[in-house]
Amino acid sequence: MSDIRHSLLRRDALSAAKEVLYHLDIYFSSQLQSAPLPLVDKGPAELLEEFLFQVPKERGAPAKRLNSLQELQLLEIMCNYFQEQTKDSVRQIIFSSLFSPQGNKADDSRMALLGKLVSMAVAVCRVPVLECAAFWLQRTPAVYCVRLARALVDDYCNLVPGSIQTLKQIFSASPRFCCQFITSVTALYDLSSDDLIPPSDLLELIVSWIFEDPRLILITFLNTPIAANLPIGFLELTPLTGLIRWCVKAPLAYKRKKKASLSNGHPPSKTAKDSAAGDDRDCHQLYSKLHLSVLQVLMMLQGHLTEKNLYGRLGLIPFDHVVPLVEEINRLSDELNPLNASKEIELALDRLAQALQVAMASGALLCTRDDLRTVCSRLPHNNLLQLVISGPVQQPTHGALPPGFYPHIHTPPLGYPAHAAHPALPAHPAHPAHPALPAHPVQTFIPGMTFPYRPIR
Amino acid sequence: MSALCDPPGAASPPRPPLSSQELAQEIKAFLSGVDPVHGTKLTLKEHARCAILLLRSLPPARHAVLEHLRAVFDEHVCTHLLERESGEAGLGAAAGRAPGPSLDDVVQEVQHVLSDFVRANPKAWAPVVSAWSIDLMGQLSSKYAGRHGVPHASSLNELLQLWMSCKATRTLMDIYTQCLSSMISTCPDACVDALLDTSVQHSPHFDWVVAHIGSSFPNTIISRVLSCGLKDFCVHGAAPVDLLFPTAADKRVPKIASVVGILGHLASRHSGSIKQELLRMFHESLGPMRDQHQKATVPFLLQLAVMSPMLLGTISSELVDSLKPSVLNQLHQHFASLPREDLENMVSIVVHLICQTSAGAYRILQFLVNTAMPASVITTPGLAVHDSVREACDRIIQLLLLNLQKLVYNRGAPSLGDAPPRPVPFLDELKGHVRELCVETLRLERKRFLWQHQLLGLLAVYCAPNCATDALFYLLTLAHSQEELGLATQLYAVLSSCMTDLLPATVKKCVCQIHAGGLPEQHVVQLFHNLALIVQWEGEGPASMSTQLGAVLSHHLHDLGQLLLHRSPEVAEAASLLLSVCPMPRAVRPAHLLVIVRSAVHQFFLVLRRQSPTSLSYSSRLLARLSGTSPAATKAVLQQLVEGALHRGNAELFGGLGEAPSGDEAGLEGARVSLLDTNRRFTAAVNFSGSVWSVFHAGVIGRGLKPVAAAGGRAPEELAHNAQSFLSLLLRCCRGGRYGPAEAPVPPAAGISPEAAKAVAVVLVESVCPDVTGSELCWPPEEHTRSTVERDLQICRRFRDNPLLFPLLRLVAAGRPALCYCSVLLRGLLATLMAHWEASRESDTTGSPWHLQASCALVACMAEGSLLPPVLGNMHEIFHQLAPFEVHLLLLSVWDYMRDNSPLPQKFTFQADRGLFFRDFSRDGDVGKYLAVLHSVLHKNIDRLGLLAGRFRT
Repeated sequence: MSDIRHSLLRRDALSAAKEVLYHLDIYFSSQLQSAPLPLVDKGPAELLEEFLFQVPKERGAPAKRLNSLQELQLLEIMCNYFQEQTKDSVRQIIFSSLFSPQGNKADDSRMALLGKLVSMAVAVCRVPVLECAAFWLQRTPAVYCVRLARALVDDYCNLVPGSIQTLKQIFSASPRFCCQFITSVTALYDLSSDDLIPPSDLLELIVSWIFEDPRLILITFLNTPIAANLPIGFLELTPLTGLIRWCVKAPLAYKRKKKASLSNGHPPSKTAKDSAAGDDRDCHQLYSKLHLSVLQVLMMLQGHLTEKNLYGRLGLIPFDHVVPLVEEINRLSDELNPLNASKEIELALDRLAQALQVAMASGALLCTRDDLRTVCSRLPHNNLLQLVISGPVQQPTHGALPPGFYPHIHTPPLGYPAHAAHPALPAHPAHPAHPALPAHPVQTFIPGMTFPYRPIR
Repeated sequence: MSALCDPPGAASPPRPPLSSQELAQEIKAFLSGVDPVHGTKLTLKEHARCAILLLRSLPPARHAVLEHLRAVFDEHVCTHLLERESGEAGLGAAAGRAPGPSLDDVVQEVQHVLSDFVRANPKAWAPVVSAWSIDLMGQLSSKYAGRHGVPHASSLNELLQLWMSCKATRTLMDIYTQCLSSMISTCPDACVDALLDTSVQHSPHFDWVVAHIGSSFPNTIISRVLSCGLKDFCVHGAAPVDLLFPTAADKRVPKIASVVGILGHLASRHSGSIKQELLRMFHESLGPMRDQHQKATVPFLLQLAVMSPMLLGTISSELVDSLKPSVLNQLHQHFASLPREDLENMVSIVVHLICQTSAGAYRILQFLVNTAMPASVITTPGLAVHDSVREACDRIIQLLLLNLQKLVYNRGAPSLGDAPPRPVPFLDELKGHVRELCVETLRLERKRFLWQHQLLGLLAVYCAPNCATDALFYLLTLAHSQEELGLATQLYAVLSSCMTDLLPATVKKCVCQIHAGGLPEQHVVQLFHNLALIVQWEGEGPASMSTQLGAVLSHHLHDLGQLLLHRSPEVAEAASLLLSVCPMPRAVRPAHLLVIVRSAVHQFFLVLRRQSPTSLSYSSRLLARLSGTSPAATKAVLQQLVEGALHRGNAELFGGLGEAPSGDEAGLEGARVSLLDTNRRFTAAVNFSGSVWSVFHAGVIGRGLKPVAAAGGRAPEELAHNAQSFLSLLLRCCRGGRYGPAEAPVPPAAGISPEAAKAVAVVLVESVCPDVTGSELCWPPEEHTRSTVERDLQICRRFRDNPLLFPLLRLVAAGRPALCYCSVLLRGLLATLMAHWEASRESDTTGSPWHLQASCALVACMAEGSLLPPVLGNMHEIFHQLAPFEVHLLLLSVWDYMRDNSPLPQKFTFQADRGLFFRDFSRDGDVGKYLAVLHSVLHKNIDRLGLLAGRFRT
């Protein structure tokens, strides 16, 4: 490796970068032939950092910077390389060795380059790159994913007007990437502040994607072997939680934004006000649409879960994420004057109730009514929510459910602790059958079917 | 904006989005510069078009595109300059190059695209685009700065004209302007930061950009430039030790330098806004919320002021106005926590800045002094400043004075070879406030007058000699007490060590001011009093102000003398006081002397008329001193005095008849007599009434006697006092003979000097009897008097009208032999009296008291003057007991004696031991025959006069 390095040192920045890629390709191709899962050792990684991401290795050595033209050239080369590399595995391993965050100072330029690369791939529709990026998003801690999402949103929604169409087109090219993109975007824009409200272009894009094919949301989930212990700090399998958050919080968040801009002392001019009002109305429609799609997907979900034999064991909408959502709604509705925002609060709570109900019914949310009651106790009053918490008088009808397959939601079976007892009981005597899958309790009680259960928490 | 900038092609419908393959082609083309289809090289224009296309459709390529566009703009500028050159050279566009407009539309298109972007999302695009455009402008202006045809960086206007006429740079400017204006309401910091950075980098050549942008957005640029500068200052301001003289290595300097430069550009037209902004920063920094920036604000502002005198000038005066006690207390709290060295450092900067302040320097001084003054009982407790604030101010003043002293005394003497000495703006400005400073100093308030006095001294040395003389002049003019006057002498003591000719210049200045009328009367009075006071101070060395002042003042006798006749009596009095104490020079030019004497005498009579004892004493002292200077002066004084006393206007002061009563004149006027008319009719008819012929001594024929002139209406005591004053003055003047300034004690026996007496005599004769015919000293026979009746009558009437004449005559008589020169007067008087007594039909001489008194006085006077021998001279003692005819006879015998013994000065001899002239009557022969009449009269009246017989025995 050191002789390669010496030869690279003599070159200019661009050709050195090209050369590094070339050597990397050779190295991994040969490694892959010898071993199915090659270990990336330090040598190539250091070369990458020095010559591709321009982190000077020796202190004081002048870093050869690529100027922006050279950078563009490099991006083009990389795009072409991934396009032309026929072996999927080589492509994957090179992509991940290039862009997996290492926790060092090269990460910044790594992420910047990745953002540009993916952005360019979107523009020129390089499917392999997008697929690689989709995998990358799955395997990378969420903080980095969010950065990539932000770079893309900046490029296509903020900077170049009209370019959102380009982004829209990749729906057909790489749905998998689209799905991961949606997940990362919902992780980025959590509506916790005015800045984190998704741009309307982006919202429209996502709604149009999902509306066109709601299954898009589930693509990753369906195509991934489920390692049931979802690692913490990574993106979720589906954007469902994030999308529910959007739909539920949106009325309140928009209201808050409006209030802030009014109290800022900048009374918007009349035309601006009108257009803003129009935008808001459009957005509200979009959120309604989105909500509908989410509910539809949730209903679909039961089948898939059952199919994968995960029903009641995998909470696609973790209860842990519902708790902060409810708390935020609570805080937001306190913050907004209830008298002025009663309509918005009503809407938000309605959506929340609907989502909770459907999610619980479909087995995406694993919790008891009592848990819900505890969590939702402090929310403002809402009839629908009240109903959902207290449980229906009548069994909800579920078209997707086979007849007789009614979850007994509100009457936990005897012997179940009404409240969550303990989060982790790894060696519960009752279910030794599935040691690998952490089993989740569902409130459905299906006679004749024994589900190993475990109280959540 | 966009309507103006839209390129011609903009109207065409936007092309449909490229497919990804097309886009990949375009990328390839852009990167390689080769047309992918035809394989030919792209022209500059096509290449640029390609770049614009990418800009629109490939977001990650934006930096590369902007980079590429730099070259396009560069090319355009180059072309433009070439065209200009060739155009100037008269070659037209023959320079083989593609004509300029080729790139124009590309440039326009770029502008169009970018302005679209900025409009669509200012928050995202404005920082990028503004940084790009401003950096490119900086780069271009630096690159082409040295080129032929590009004006030098110092001629800002030409540069601005050149670059604004170039399409590329103007477009860039427009783009930047758009960015800035789109961000102006939210947060233009990013745009301004770019401006600052570039300004640092390309400083002199980039100034035109700053100037242009600054004048388009003055307020934003000013406030943002300041806030960016402050931010930068905070970042680098970790060690604000060497604020005053930052080393070259100090990184902070460049950015703050560009802040200063930019504000400097804007100052000419927007100094008001700059001032406001600076003040706002200052006040905000004192707010309760303290962050790093606020703490650094004051040092930052100080640093700015150090670097830019212009900013200093802008802010200093206003700042002082806003430093209310509450603000000061806040400031104190604010800095209380700083380490000691920092504070010292700040104070030294402040002092330095004050020295550099020009406008408003006086206000600053006032502020400092007021604040540093210890609180008095009167101060409202709520408004008082904190004690340590006061101490700080005190310290600042002391350091300021110290610093000024260094500056002033280290300037060295300006010689021809040297550069002009470094100016001290603070003192330059204070030059105009010397008067106020003096007034303030003279208030003698605790502490502050010491400071002000010291400052006056520095000021005087700094702009010698004008300020020195001014300061002394004001102090002398405005001081009202000994203590205050002491300030002037102290100042002089300080200054005299380093300045020559200070006092003459000062006095000259005083005199000029007075004569120019620039001084109110009460100030003139005060000035004279003060000068007189100083001259009179004793017990000081020969170099003291007192001694020197006398000498200097004596050069201005003439100027001061003119003021004796000032219309304001106070001024005249003060002038006479000053002149009376001022030493007289040994030689005064006769013209000057006469002027002074005349004015002094005139003033004397004015004062006498006004009955002001102090003035009178000043006036007489002055005249006495004047008369002491030289014989000529004595003569002049006496002559003027006597003439003045006998003047008709003044006669009434001494009980004489004044001007002819106006009724007389009115009578003539009323007749409207025309001399011509009268002469014409002279032969035709005899008309006595109202003609010249009908006017006689007693009155106009046909109108009765002349009305007796009313006596002046003065009380006899007053008349006596006046006469007394006058005569005593005259006596003092007559005791001359001791000329020169030395004031030797007067020998008591010394009488009236003969010369002086002679002078008086001459004047008397001239004024009483201007007729010179027959006015020789020798006496004619008694019969001759008939030919001189008219004249004699006139003389007698003068004596009658003016009671002062007899005392004067006595005075002359006392200065023997001067009375000889009055012989004609004596003769006239005697003849008239003789005629009177001869014609008198009264039984007793007491019937005509004046004549009796006059006869007695005359004889006594002649006896005093040694014109008559003792016995003959005593006979007036019996006049009141005789009959008129007897008096006539006696007087006749006096005449006879006089005719036989002419009153000639030669008959007198000087007796050196007594210092007087005496006449030895024994040489004149026997007196007996002239006494015969006297003895027979005694015989005749032996019953009453027997007692006196012994007295008239020879």
